[in-house]
Parts: sequence; C-alpha cells; structure tokens
Amino acid sequence: MKLKKLTGSREFLLFIIVIAMFAIVSIINPAFFSFKAVTDMLRNNAVTLVMALGMLGVMLVGGIDISITSTLALSGMAIGMLLKYGHIQSTLLCFLITMGIGTVCGALVGLLISRAGVPPIIASMGFMYIYRAMGYLISHGGEWASAAALGSFKNFGTDKLLGLSKVIWVIIACYVIFFIVMKWTRIGRQVYAVGSNAEAAEVSGIKVKNIKLMVHTVMGLLAGLAGSLQVAVYASAMPNMAQGGEMDVIAACVIGGVSMSGGRGSVVGALLGALIMAMIPKALPLLHIDALWQNMIKGVMILAVVVINVILQRIANRNALARREM
Amino acid sequence: MKKLLSVLLVALLVAGLMTSALAGTADGKKIALVGKSAGNAFFEIAAAAFKEAGEAEGATIDVVYPEEATADAQIKVLDNLISQQPDAICISANDFNALQAKLEEAMEAGIKVSSFDSAPNPASRQVFVNQAGTVAVGQALIDAVYDLAGGEGQWAILSATSQASNQNAWIAAMEEIAKDEKYAKLELVPIAYGDDEPQKSTDQTQALLDNYPDLKVICAPTTVGIMAAAKLVQDTEGCNVKITGLGLPSEMLEYTGEGKSCPYFYLWDMQLLGKLSAYATIALINGDITGAEGETFTVEGLGDFSITKADDGGTEIVQGLPLQFNQDNIEEMAKLY
Amino acid sequence: MAGKSGRSINNIPESPIKKLIFGWEGILILVFVGVNIFCKWFSEYYNMFNLLRQMPVYLAEVFLMLVMAFILVMGEIDISVGSTVCLAATLACIISNAGAPFPLVILATLAVGTCCGLVNAFILTRFPELPPMIVTLSTQIIFRGIAEIVLGSGGSVSVANTAGFKAISGKIGSVPYILFLVVLLAVVAGIILGRSTFGRKVYAIGTNRLAARYSGVAVEKIRFIIYTLMGTAAGLCALFMVASSYGANTTTGTGFEMDAIAMAVFGGISSTGGKGNMIGGFISAFIIVCLRIGLGQRNVNGQVILLIIGVLLIAAVALPNIFGSLRKAVKK
Repeated sequence: MKLKKLTGSREFLLFIIVIAMFAIVSIINPAFFSFKAVTDMLRNNAVTLVMALGMLGVMLVGGIDISITSTLALSGMAIGMLLKYGHIQSTLLCFLITMGIGTVCGALVGLLISRAGVPPIIASMGFMYIYRAMGYLISHGGEWASAAALGSFKNFGTDKLLGLSKVIWVIIACYVIFFIVMKWTRIGRQVYAVGSNAEAAEVSGIKVKNIKLMVHTVMGLLAGLAGSLQVAVYASAMPNMAQGGEMDVIAACVIGGVSMSGGRGSVVGALLGALIMAMIPKALPLLHIDALWQNMIKGVMILAVVVINVILQRIANRNALARREM
Repeated sequence: MKKLLSVLLVALLVAGLMTSALAGTADGKKIALVGKSAGNAFFEIAAAAFKEAGEAEGATIDVVYPEEATADAQIKVLDNLISQQPDAICISANDFNALQAKLEEAMEAGIKVSSFDSAPNPASRQVFVNQAGTVAVGQALIDAVYDLAGGEGQWAILSATSQASNQNAWIAAMEEIAKDEKYAKLELVPIAYGDDEPQKSTDQTQALLDNYPDLKVICAPTTVGIMAAAKLVQDTEGCNVKITGLGLPSEMLEYTGEGKSCPYFYLWDMQLLGKLSAYATIALINGDITGAEGETFTVEGLGDFSITKADDGGTEIVQGLPLQFNQDNIEEMAKLY
Repeated sequence: MAGKSGRSINNIPESPIKKLIFGWEGILILVFVGVNIFCKWFSEYYNMFNLLRQMPVYLAEVFLMLVMAFILVMGEIDISVGSTVCLAATLACIISNAGAPFPLVILATLAVGTCCGLVNAFILTRFPELPPMIVTLSTQIIFRGIAEIVLGSGGSVSVANTAGFKAISGKIGSVPYILFLVVLLAVVAGIILGRSTFGRKVYAIGTNRLAARYSGVAVEKIRFIIYTLMGTAAGLCALFMVASSYGANTTTGTGFEMDAIAMAVFGGISSTGGKGNMIGGFISAFIIVCLRIGLGQRNVNGQVILLIIGVLLIAAVALPNIFGSLRKAVKK
C-alpha cells in the first residue's frame, strides 16, 4: 500500500523524469556523469535552488513573488560596494548584511500583501522595480564590484568543506531545515492550512495574515542569502544581476508540482523542479544543440514537463477513481 | 551688509571674467551622450572622459541611459532628446538598424549625430569613432589565439548575445583572417553565447571544456564572458585551457598574468575613446567636419585624426590599436579602468 | 450594470456620474491632471506637439493593455505577449523583405500574433488545470527563441521597403494615426467588457469560475477567444514597433507584458479577477505615458522612472484598501 502511494505521487513521477534526463544526457555525453559535473551544476544554480524554497512557501499560501531577483541584486550589490570601498571584510558579516537586507525587503512585500490587501503579483511587481532601482542607485548608477574588489569573500565560492563546496553545504542546510519545518512542525502545517483554505484556517485560530507575512519575510531572507551566493560564486556584483531569474524559480516550483493556487507542494518537489531547471541549460550545450536553438528548446522542455505531469496526474486520478468505484 | 554685497559682486565679476577667459570651442552647446544601458562599467569610463573633455570646452553634457539594454528603450530616449533639441547626440547603439528612423528624425531636426563604441548603421549617423579598427581587433585576437595555442589545435569563441553587433563584427573579422594559411592548423569549434550573464556564460564555458577535451584557447570578446570563463578555468584544477579576448583590467586583475588562466587580453584606451568622441562631436557641431571621407581634424594634445571609410560603408574615425594587458601592466591599468 | 467599479472610495455609486466622480476613475482623472501639471512644471519641453510626437512608441503598448484587461478581469495573466511582439515583428520584416505588398504584411503580422495567441489558448483550454503564468512563461521563452532562430547569428533585421511602415506612422495634423486607432479600439473593448453579454461572462469567470461554469457560461470557449485576441493585439503592437524602428531584433518587446499589466492594474483592474473597467485602464495608460515622457524629457534616470512607477503601482492598490479598513475601524 505504502509502495503504491509512493509510486503514484507527483514527486515520484518527477524523480523518474529527473533520472531519465540525467541518464539520457550521460549516455550521449559521458562528461555529464561525474561527481564534479553534478557539483558544478549545483553550484552554478545555487541561487535558483535556494530561492525555490522560499517560493515554495509563498506559493503554498497562494501567493507569488517576482521581486526576489531585485532583492538579490540589491543585497548583493550592497555587500559588493561595502567590500569594494573597504568598509567590511568579514565573510560572515557579508552574509548577515545580505540576509538582513533581504529580510527587510521581504517583510515590506509581506506587509503590503497581508495588511494592505494588495494582490501578491502587484505588490511584488512594484517592489521588483523599486528594489532593482535601489540596486542601481547604491552602485552609483552602474559600478561593478569585481573579483579583485571582493577580497577574501569570493573564496566562499571556491572553498571546500569535507570535499564539498561550501556553497553546496549552504544549499543542503537550507533544504534540510525546510524539509523538517514543513513536515514536522506546527508552522509548516499552518502554511499548508492557509493555502488549502484560508477561511477555514482563520476559523481554526491560525493568524492567516501573520503566516502570509512570515512566508514573504522568509522568501526575502533567502533572496538575500542568494545575493551573497551569487556574488561569491561569480566573484562579481553587478546591479543587473539575475534579472529575469525569478521566472526560473517560479518555473522550478511549478515543475516540482507546487500549485499556484496554494496548498499543494513539497520541499522534495521544489528540489526536483529546481534540478530540472538546472539540468536543461547545462545539458543543451553538452548535447551539441545549436547555440541559437537552445532558448527555444528550453521553453519547449519546460512546457513539456508541466504538460506531461498534468497528463500523468489525470491518469493517476482516473485510476484512483476506478479503484474506488470497484 | 553692504560690504558683504560688494564682496559678492566682485567675486561674481571675477568668476564671470574667469569663465569668459576660459572660453572653449563649444560654449553653450548641449550634447547628449546615450549609453547602451546603465550598469555597464565599460561605458562609464568612456562617458566620464567624454563629459570631462566636453565640459572643458564649455559644452553641457548629459549622459542618458535607457531603462534596458534594448533598442526599444533607446528609441524612447532618442524621442526625449529630440524634444530637447540638443546640438548633438552621441550614441552607442544597442542595435545596428533599429535606431535609423529616430536618428534620421533627429538629423532632420538639425541635431548632429555622432556615435562611438557600437555604431548604428551608416544612414543613421554622421560619424563613428571606432575604438580600434575592426580588422585590427580581429587580428590582435586571432594572433593571441595562435600564440596561446602554440600554433595549432582547437579554439572556441564565447560571445555575448547573437545580436551584439560589435561582437559579431570582430568575430567575422577573426574568421576572415583565420582563413590565412598561417592559421590553417587552428580549428574553431561552434560559437557559444553566454548572453553576458555570469550563470549562462559559466554553463557554456563548462560545456566547451567538456565537449572539446583538446581545446586549447577560449577567446571571449565580451567583458562578462571573459570574466566568467577566466574564473571557471582558474577554479578548475588541472585545466590548461587559456583565456583571452576583450575585457576590463579592473575586472580581470585576479585572472591575468603568468600562472593564471588568462595570460593576456586586449582592450583599447577607454578614456581616449571618450575624449576623442567628445572632440569629434564638437567638431561636427562647429562644422569643422561633416563626416565625409577624407576630412581631418586636430585635437590638441592627441594629434590629427582623419575620417576614413568604414567596413559597413559609412565613415569612421579610428582611434588607434588595441592595447594589450598582461602581467606587467595589469595592476597599474586596473587602477585606471 | 455590468461589472463592478474598480475601487470605490465612497459607497455611494448609485448614479453613473456620481460613480465616475467618486470612484477610482474620478481619482485617476485628478491624477492625470496632476501629472500633466507636474510635467509642465518639471519639463520645459512638455507641450502638446512634443507629447503627440513622442507618444506613438508608448501607445503601441496600450493595444496590449486593452486585451490584457480582459485576461486580468478573468483573474489570469499572459506574460508571453512581449515575445509574441518580437516574433510577429521579426516575421513582419522578413515577409516585407520578401517583397509582399504592404496590406499582406499587415495581415501576415496580425496572423502571426494570432497564431501565437492560439497556441496559448489551445494549451490553456486543453489543460485548464495548468496555471496560465507557467504556460505563458514557457511560450514566452519559445516565441522569442523562434525569433532568435529565424534572425540567425545577426540577431536583427531591418525592412528594405519602409514606405508602408512610414504610412502607418503618419499623422493628421500633428495627431498620429495610432492615437485614433487606440481610442477607437479602447471604445470597442470598453463596450464589449462593460456593456455586452460577453463582458458580463468575463466578469463572472473572474468572480467565481466554478459558479460561472455551473450557470452555463462556456468558460473555456471565452478563455480561448481572449487568449487568441491577446495574440492579435500583440501582432498589432508589433506592426507599430516595426514602424518606429524599421526593423526587429531579439530584444524587441522585452518587458511589454509587465508594462501592459502595470497600466491595467493602476487603472483599477484587479489581478485577482472580477474587478475594474476599461475607462480606468485607459486613463491610467495615459497617466503612465505622460509621466514617462515628462520625466524622460529632463533625462531622469530610467531606473528612477521605474522606481516611481513601482511606488505609484503599489500606492494605487494599497491606499484604497488602507483607507477602506480605516473607515471600517472608525465606524466601529
């Protein structure tokens, strides 16, 4: 029974897709099948992987946040400028600053959504413009902070701990914490409750507004963290960094089975979705696809994955219905 | 109170005399400098030099950036400028053809149009200040590839976007020169595009390394691309691929020199580019030049420049040869730009 | 009455005139006047002549807003329109360069846009459980991807024969044709949304999709029509984009979807569905256009302009809600 439940789940279907993609690419180009290739891929997609967790929380309560990459740019640019002009040196302090800025940014979005009743897409769209412009303004209209200006901070992107890049440890830590919180704590259950039925949740004593504020604040925190990761991994801070990346994060979540109307989705799903989004751009050049075709094929693959998932879900539902009728 | 007033008046008078004594060749002229996008470190340096040179001649310089690095956004900026009726517009175009309608409208309205860094098509400009002859850049880059590869083997190009017009011109020049027998043993693998995004550039560089194990050199004629490629190669243990191309010294400081991933790379004198463009624009306003082939003009301290025929059929002023940045001069140059 | 008003500050919208004055539309008109006074004071170049001359590039985006309003009223979203504009503009140039007569170019461009819309419409109605955002995100990447392939390694194309495109960017006096077209289409769209059965059904879908379906509204058919029309509007926008640049490139139309959504939302059309009307969207479109032109004429940094629009957007949606809850609190 338990096995059946497992094989019928959305995550399992996705897992099969991930394995199949990995196998096919590895067979065609063995360079893909190595520990280093996988860790490089994770490191290069750290930003999407980390923010997908925050987006999971936001989407579980039926929201959306498209301001995240602007938050990323603002916080990343802030430490870039502070490092460049020698105000700070400590790596830990950099992380704290970006996470602090991110938290404030996220909380503002959350307040607007939960207290002023602004639809999430509009609130985050407004802040998308505002935070991005602030990123430009603090960079004096467009300065970059490059590798030489970042001092020892950029080593975080290359340093290893127990044979794994520190960046990957950060990703693992985030996923473990989220997995535990979403699965086994009251807060996790409350997030799901709000997403499934906000009115019922309110009646049962959950402070819906506070939960909404919380998920957006956490989203901001992770976007800030992603700001640090982006600057460390690429050893450069530019005010236009990661522009448009929010759509990759949203796509990762939706591919991972997170419902855009709230209540459905899991940490494992978000992980698998983010992995698929990481694998597509990594795999296309390895498969010797013409450079000009890569964007189109990326789009087709995203569409294919979500459509296949819906079809498989329909079949699973029909089977479940048939079983019940028997 | 009276005393203060008289001091003030005298001061004003002196200031007035001073300014008229320092009168430049472009007093009271308004010039608008249009960039490709805000946040382009490459452009900021040239723009600062442009502004300094232009203001020294008495002109007012407005540096304007479009909201995004697109031709659409530049069209909106040009519309705004046409309303303001400046004496000249100097533009670095996001697209070769797309600005023609607006720039023609500007010229019809009596505004002089010069361009630098990245040219709009010949019909939409009066003069183009070319940082370094396209062929000269292509030659320098292919020679760098030849040198770093040891005369033979596979090499790759990591470009920005498929649309970037100056990148495309340099790549075409390189491909053309590479047909020479000298370079016959060099083999170019398909061009990769990193879209000037660190993430995509990294993915594409990694794929080049994986797909072509015998690859010897990657040439990236774009600032973000060369930075991402140099970082990736330097961080990869046991990778002997060499990086070269066009980049900014301050961005490349970490990766340039012996024992690092990029032995040397090229760029031109960005400050000189800004300065020369300012003087060319002023010469255009004053009618010293019209942009016709064969004209010459003198810039004090920089020498004589002549207007020559450009590869695209228009005219251009070639600033000079590309500069090489290597172990010896990178630290010093990184302080400048 | 079809449709509810956008966001009313007062609860006295019995007569239509009162509603117009006290409702969101009344405030928008005041804002419009205010913005124009501000721009006049801020920019010495801000006058009717320059305004009309600069407007066409922005007006092309208003076409998108007209149909986007329907999609938002249904509580949905289409973020592929910018890419549709890109693909349609690209093919318009190529068809024109192949020697097609101009009327054919117009038809072909509209057809390309419509086909893109059809693709969205087909997928969204065939798989209604798929969120529109993710489907149109994929098609956003796909449509622009196709344009990239078609444009090849140059990434840009220009039209050889500009006569036709010059003709459509012509003017009567100093008023460009496109302004007449925008006003005409806005009136048509406004009547359909506000006065027709079709419009009522769109509101019904936005308010409660399930209830609409049970009460006999052919939900999927209406969605199909609207998403297809969205593509047609993008084709129309593409035509005027080509007219402003005599060409197309891989970045044509970037971000247009957000501009169109911002215009509609600022005009009081709710992204959660069921609320708003075309008058609001139309006035707000002109507020944004005037503001952008006025600020742009004094070379205000582009990012700062976006920041101001961001603040306006949030204020437009948040303030009525905050005042509303304050009033409630006071009444208690």
